[in-house]
Amino acid sequence: MAEAATEMVKLTIDGVPVEVPKGTLLVEAAKKIKQEIPVYCYHTKLGPAGLCRVCLVEVEGMPKLQIGCNTPVADGMVVHTRNEKVESGRSMILELLLVNHPLDCPICDKGGECDLQDYAMAYGRGASDVADPKQSKPKGVDLGPTIVLDEERCVVCQRCVRFDDIIAGERQLVVKDRGHNDIIATSTGDPYRHNFTGNVTELCPVGALTSKTYRFKSRPWDLNRTETSCTQCAVGCRQFADVRYGTLVRTMSVENDDAISDGWLCDRGRYNIGYLGAPERLTQPLYKQNGQFVQIGWDDAFALWAKAINDARAAGKAVGALGGGRLFNEEAYLLGYVMRALGVKNLDWRTGRQLQASPGANASYEALENASSIVIAGDIAELAPVLWLRIIKAVTRKGARLVRVGACGAAPGFAHTDVTNAGEAAQAVAAEGGVAIVWDGADLALGAALAATFASRSPLAYIASEQSNARGAEAMGLLPTDGGADFTKIAADAANGAYGVLALFGANPLRNAPNAETMRGALQATPFTVVSELFMTESAQAATLVLPAKSAFEKSGTVIDIAGDLLPVNASLQAPVGALSDLEMLIGLAQQFDLALPTSEELDAAVIARAAKPLAAALGEARYATSEPLAPSSSRSIWDGGGTCAHDDRIATLRREPVKVGA
Amino acid sequence: MRKQLYNVGAILKGLSITFKFMFAKRPTIEYPSVKKQHAPRFHGLHELRRYADGKERCIGCELCSSACPANAITVIGAENTPESRKSPGERHAARYEIDELRCIFCGMCEEACPTDAIVLTPRFEMADYRRGSFIYAKDRLLVPPEAGVGTPPDERPNGIPADLGRVAEVKSTIDITAGYGATHRGEILKTQRRGLAG
Amino acid sequence: MPVTKVLTAGIGEADLRDISVYRARGGYKQWERAVRDLKPADVMEACDKSGLRGRGGAGFPTGRKWSFLPNNGKPRYMVCNCDEAEPGTFKDHMLLEETPHLVLEGILLGAYGIGCTHAYIYIRGEFKRGYQIFQKAIDDARAAGLLGKNILGTGLDIEVTAHRGAGAYICGEETGLLNSLEGKRGEPRLKPPFPAIAGLYGMPTVVNNVETLAYLVPILEKGADWFASVGTERSKGYKIVSVSGHVQKPGNYEVPIGTTVREIIEIAGGLRPGRTFAAVQPGGQSSACIFEEHLDYPYDYESMAKAGSMLGSGAFTVFDDTTDWVKAALNSVRFYAHESCGQCTPCREGGHWLERVLHRFVEGRGLRSDLEMIRRVSGTITGLNLCALGDSIEPFLKSVVNRFPEQFEARVMQELTPA
Repeated sequence: MAEAATEMVKLTIDGVPVEVPKGTLLVEAAKKIKQEIPVYCYHTKLGPAGLCRVCLVEVEGMPKLQIGCNTPVADGMVVHTRNEKVESGRSMILELLLVNHPLDCPICDKGGECDLQDYAMAYGRGASDVADPKQSKPKGVDLGPTIVLDEERCVVCQRCVRFDDIIAGERQLVVKDRGHNDIIATSTGDPYRHNFTGNVTELCPVGALTSKTYRFKSRPWDLNRTETSCTQCAVGCRQFADVRYGTLVRTMSVENDDAISDGWLCDRGRYNIGYLGAPERLTQPLYKQNGQFVQIGWDDAFALWAKAINDARAAGKAVGALGGGRLFNEEAYLLGYVMRALGVKNLDWRTGRQLQASPGANASYEALENASSIVIAGDIAELAPVLWLRIIKAVTRKGARLVRVGACGAAPGFAHTDVTNAGEAAQAVAAEGGVAIVWDGADLALGAALAATFASRSPLAYIASEQSNARGAEAMGLLPTDGGADFTKIAADAANGAYGVLALFGANPLRNAPNAETMRGALQATPFTVVSELFMTESAQAATLVLPAKSAFEKSGTVIDIAGDLLPVNASLQAPVGALSDLEMLIGLAQQFDLALPTSEELDAAVIARAAKPLAAALGEARYATSEPLAPSSSRSIWDGGGTCAHDDRIATLRREPVKVGA
Repeated sequence: MRKQLYNVGAILKGLSITFKFMFAKRPTIEYPSVKKQHAPRFHGLHELRRYADGKERCIGCELCSSACPANAITVIGAENTPESRKSPGERHAARYEIDELRCIFCGMCEEACPTDAIVLTPRFEMADYRRGSFIYAKDRLLVPPEAGVGTPPDERPNGIPADLGRVAEVKSTIDITAGYGATHRGEILKTQRRGLAG
Repeated sequence: MPVTKVLTAGIGEADLRDISVYRARGGYKQWERAVRDLKPADVMEACDKSGLRGRGGAGFPTGRKWSFLPNNGKPRYMVCNCDEAEPGTFKDHMLLEETPHLVLEGILLGAYGIGCTHAYIYIRGEFKRGYQIFQKAIDDARAAGLLGKNILGTGLDIEVTAHRGAGAYICGEETGLLNSLEGKRGEPRLKPPFPAIAGLYGMPTVVNNVETLAYLVPILEKGADWFASVGTERSKGYKIVSVSGHVQKPGNYEVPIGTTVREIIEIAGGLRPGRTFAAVQPGGQSSACIFEEHLDYPYDYESMAKAGSMLGSGAFTVFDDTTDWVKAALNSVRFYAHESCGQCTPCREGGHWLERVLHRFVEGRGLRSDLEMIRRVSGTITGLNLCALGDSIEPFLKSVVNRFPEQFEARVMQELTPA
């Protein structure tokens, strides 16, 4: 509709003149005058389907009622959305929808936020002529690891089917049987399982598709809702966190979040909330004595830590700090600030496979959709699932060409070209139009080669980080900028006993780093190692002092997403008693040394200034590297655990099963 | 002297009222050895009722807690499983708590209940020594299985039968014998569909 | 009796399935002439001038339908709709099995006329024999150089593919047919866009009935004026009428359009002895009944519409006075409820609801309020549907409920005395 966007059409809706671009559908035009046309099957992102027939409107000059969802505006059109004829048609449709509806609203998870309830109250007759028993269909069908389906409540709007086809590109859900026997099922009968299944529960206008994790947990009016940003990956989708009685019961997408998530959430972002209340969460600082962890107080922990730093300085040994992607910008900034104030230069965030997080110039997610060629390197579908939806959109609906360089995970179900190096990629892309490079930031040589190959096309560059706020950590200066050692060198030197204190914040290099064995030696050889973690990870087990941290739902701050946007994360939960945020830990340490810390206003200003500062580095440029870049280890899925996923049994079942060979 | 006589008159006048009540019928009763009969629709302590087959009526829908003006009711729902079936249908109340100190005994919960599970009985003796013991959970609210279905709501003036629950059962859209018993996780198969097509 | 033989000429006399017999009787002459001498525009013009209207049910002028195809350089498709599933209609079945080459010639002419190089014929799944016969006809014609690559040495390429449906009434709806042909679930598509703009595989497509395309052959042979000279003012030419029901000689009769309803009943042998006429459903299951007062109406598109019904596909079902109208109504509604694809609400839920109510009536358990409900629901759902199937429930049901209310009232359950 881009070419028609300039041409405006004037029409009248309910007596109010409206001017909208040509080609606009009546349902959208009515929104301009805040007049609601009820819809079930129509969805802004899925387009019209014309199935539910509830969006009836009267257009003067047309004998029959028209459906607002598939009637484009025309000049001089006179539309009535609330007159008697329309109301009678709508009430008929609602009466028909309720003929076989079980009316089990009291036990329905959707009750209270259900379109069928709302419209039946708004437009329904309030009485029924039905004298026959209702049709019985399966209830509580186990559709897959995430979804429970109630066939009786289904109004066959096919939003889920169309989402699966159009948005997720999976085509698993279909309508089976015919007529009033219609049921929703997977085409093969296999469990419904892919990275985006949870979205159908939000799309479903009735209570047919509901989440297992939220099943019977709460009623919508009991929830305390906080708008925040998802920190499961670096995409940073906007998200609602719904809390009841101190428990995060569900997360929901933000529908009009066009800039970032496009209104979708991946299953990891939606369902990985079970770890928050896991019994194995750390809630007290642990200090290792004679190989055994003992519980200590926070004051003692800070004192021990400060003493260790003083001892290391006295002994002439080095001090290092490694920050991870779990840190918010404020925490990353303060970590750098405190460490530099203590004279520590050995700072790095690159504790995993990824070696670069910020491309030279920011590019918005929306711009990616309009590229005519998309070159990906790395398992982008796993690393940044909702960004992958944009790639699906660009390829399947906007005709972009997808080129996959090297190992990029499972092959997508649509047209793509697999190549092995940047030179071949240059042959495979479309000759015209914009090029976008989405790279996982691991193989610096590949990144540099891609940047060099496509330099003449001025490509959009995205780095899909493995850690959610890697980009923030890089922008906040968690790099050896003052001549300190980088991660590889820190690990190597520490393994040789050169370090006195090593602090790890939200990083688990023993699991994620290519040089995990060197790192293990480093942790053993260093007399005092501090790890701030939610759980007893591999790195925490090897540490001297383990500090219990708050999760992203329990603290407020900001993160930077792949596109370079500064996103707020708002606390929605109370942290377990005893856990502190990394910011509070750093303040506690700073107090031991009587350091003057920035005020919160200064901190915010510093974060904003650094987030807004353009980064000069090009793709594949090793920043402040003091050692040769390591060859990236084989891609490790985020689902494998090591992160928070390991602490929720259900999450493991959400993963897509490996694609069967020959299937 | 005259003034003194006047005082005697006033005293006698006052005492006459005292003596009148001394010989009148006493309105007070010897509670707790004697107990007063309440009106049949007195709003007292809550009770969670059962169906005749022993299943809990409460489906954990939380409508009572949303209707409660005093915010005294806490309900947390959970799913029935074939191994542990507490109520008909898919959902039951895993936790059901009423803070009787917050409760104003207005009976809105009873009005809101779609299955007539919660009723206000005429029982009123709840005195205790600790505030915490006024939070009644399912163990004290639910009718014990051996005590039958529980107290039925009283006769309503507008002709609704005494046991509204029976009406709800009859009017229910779900076939209690077949539907309720077999609705867990798609146990009703396509072949079991009722209606003409089946 | 004005029985004519245009398409039906030769059926029952010779084995027209044999290509040599068909050619000996003048078959494929028009195709040869068209390929050699005529331009596609000539075929289109003849079609337009003849006033030929679609014989599948809607009666849309064929020439106008063809003219909607946009000139945008995209490939075009001609699809012949042989998914004849309307209860009471059996004319395409006959044409397909008895004179397949005539049908094929019609398809080729149509394809040539709109400039398409690949035509499809969608044959109803149940017509297995018809499919085999037609497939043989395609093979024979290809062997004779009449279709395929380089037809008759002129360099013209037209391929014809026969596709068997999988058995759903809704696949006779043109967009449902196209979905089915593409291998998708046979469900009507949301219109607009119409098939003429985005049809088969998203390309401009014309979907025509078997009979419509077959009439192209005599139109080219005898001229558009000959065809236009027969019939009434706006309904031209001939029509094969599938007469069924309470008549002595049910069958396909080809008549000039405009023959009266009474005459058609007489052609089919009249009513059985001792019976009196009750009603006629003149255009298949989706048309309303017409009654005694309409017997002298000419059988054409306009007069049938005037009588409150439609000519439809030419399925002419006669009912006499022995008809149980409640059962007939249930039968009709059950058909639509069963054949509903389930996409849109009014048809899916409304049809099923009406079916259950009528089922209660048949069992004598109707409610007095149900009659009003039937009128209200069937009337309101008409016009709200995605395709014409849902709109087809009402006409027959309403016409019989209004005409024979006593039969319905007789099935109303005895009033229950309040307990």
